[in-house]
Amino acid sequence: MIKLQDITKTYKKNGDMQVEVLRGVSLEIQKGEFVALRAPSGMGKSTLMNIIGCLDRPTSGRYLLDDVGVETLSDNELSRIRNRKIGFVFQAFNLLPKTTALENVELPLIYSAAKTDLRAKAKAALEAVGLGERMDHVPSELSGGQQQRVAIARALVNDPDIILADEPTGNLDSNASGEVLEIFRELNRKGTTIVLVTHEQEIAAEARRIIKMKDGKVISDERRDN
Amino acid sequence: MSLTKLIGISITRLSRYRLRTFLMMLSVVIGITTLTTIVAIGKGAQQQIVKGIKSFGPNSIMVAAGGGAGFGPPDSTTTTLTLDDAKAIQESIKNIKYVAPFTTSFGNTFVYGNNNLVGIVVGVTPIWSEAWTWPIEQGEFISEEDNASLSKNCVIGKTVVDELFAGQNPIGETIRINDTTFKVIGVLSKRGTSPHGMDLDKRVVVPISTAMKKLSNVTYIGNIRVYAEEPSTTRLFASDPSGLSSITESITALLRERHHITPPNEDDFRITNSISVSETVDNVTGTMTKFLGLLSLIILVVGGVVIANIMFISVNERKKEIGIRRAFGARGKDILGQFLIETIVTTVIGGVIGLTLGFFIAKGISVLYGLPAIISWEPVLLAFVFSVLVGVGAGIQPARKAAIMDPVMAIRG
Repeated sequence: MIKLQDITKTYKKNGDMQVEVLRGVSLEIQKGEFVALRAPSGMGKSTLMNIIGCLDRPTSGRYLLDDVGVETLSDNELSRIRNRKIGFVFQAFNLLPKTTALENVELPLIYSAAKTDLRAKAKAALEAVGLGERMDHVPSELSGGQQQRVAIARALVNDPDIILADEPTGNLDSNASGEVLEIFRELNRKGTTIVLVTHEQEIAAEARRIIKMKDGKVISDERRDN
Repeated sequence: MSLTKLIGISITRLSRYRLRTFLMMLSVVIGITTLTTIVAIGKGAQQQIVKGIKSFGPNSIMVAAGGGAGFGPPDSTTTTLTLDDAKAIQESIKNIKYVAPFTTSFGNTFVYGNNNLVGIVVGVTPIWSEAWTWPIEQGEFISEEDNASLSKNCVIGKTVVDELFAGQNPIGETIRINDTTFKVIGVLSKRGTSPHGMDLDKRVVVPISTAMKKLSNVTYIGNIRVYAEEPSTTRLFASDPSGLSSITESITALLRERHHITPPNEDDFRITNSISVSETVDNVTGTMTKFLGLLSLIILVVGGVVIANIMFISVNERKKEIGIRRAFGARGKDILGQFLIETIVTTVIGGVIGLTLGFFIAKGISVLYGLPAIISWEPVLLAFVFSVLVGVGAGIQPARKAAIMDPVMAIRG
């Protein structure tokens, strides 16, 4: 469902200095996979994730998402894809401050035209990550692990095909990391494609396929059967 | 996303940044308060003008004894205005329907039985009632015969009836005016209060001859009221349909000649007409309303600039929020809508507060200074239109900036 062909991304830095973050990345990810993108920090994995998540556009190359060329889509269409097909999970959680867990989880729903009961759907998502009791708490009243679980609930509330997680355990202790990874495994078992960006080997080991990147390129792509 | 959802989000966000929201609202509150107050007071003033014209009487010219500017009661020390002046006006000026000379004396005591009341005595000719379009309600008015015979008949105002007779029929009864006994032959219809708050019904009307010779022992009169011919239908929409200005000029010329006044000597009389009465009041209130109206618009414009600046700061501070919303599917126009609606909701709430305050202040001013204030729908409409305009004007650029922000950059904060 995800097909990247020779993707490059160049940023302009300090005026004329050009920084080539991605230098021709090609890869395919099938529906239902659990993929870890592993690279040292600052090696373009977040940029790649933003491109896969339709938040950013490549400088060159082709990206087909469900056989649709993403480069041909308008800003509104990209917003729609982010809303329906993709759920982001960030290292820094990125919850709205001064906003309850429930309202945070409702966020993607208010931008989808679906006329479902927002509250009920958001509640169900929070219960699915084990935070049914914390719905009315604002982020500052929650632990890091709880905040990340709220963020996961927000990512999955619209039943996306793909969850893109950028260093989701980077700010968590090992206990909370374990809980978060368990949620991802469970989601994957139910058919959701998971793309996990990380620089940690132990976290990457959770995935069934590990793509290693270095200097803006894919250097290895191995599948494991377990 | 629907408008109600947007407004819901806006109100939630605003309530979480209370101080900022309050500061944003403040200028709109002040602007709309001023605007509402002005309109309410302005409308009251307008009503006062109408009332003033009504009590002065339409289509009328008034001559008062005594020089000087402005209009007021006749100067009792000026002795030059006489019944002959009135007769001369009647005979030599055209397009006049009635000429009604009269005397006015203040502070007379009216006594009936144990009741007494202090009020005005007006000495009149029979035409006075028509010239003031002030009919009697009961009995008869002063007649030519009363004037010829210096009769001690009188016609009394409604307040006098209420205060002295307390429900009893006054016709045929005798009252004392100072120390002279008069017989009540009629009752004037109710006139209410003058624009200055004077009770116009606290008066007794007597024959002008009796007033001059028996009550005051003078040879002069206080006023001459002239009622112009009603305009023909073809002239009805002209600015001065009855030609009041030219009649006023003719009377002025005539009186100057009769009183031997040549410039630079000052007139020993004042003359005014319905048109100049309304113009004077109109000028004063018009200038005030324009000045304050302009002031409130300036406040609103300055307020708009303040709000725009606060919104720009707000957009910058909330970059991350914008990025997060974009990542989860908000389109550029959803972000635009959110910030724009936030601004408009702020200014409209400010407008509602301003409107309420304005009404209270207008009421307060009217109680303290005796100015009438009228609560009407116009300020409501103005407040709504202006607060929405300020909201859109101040919110559109910050909202645009938020909408075109690159989501990747935004989410980094």
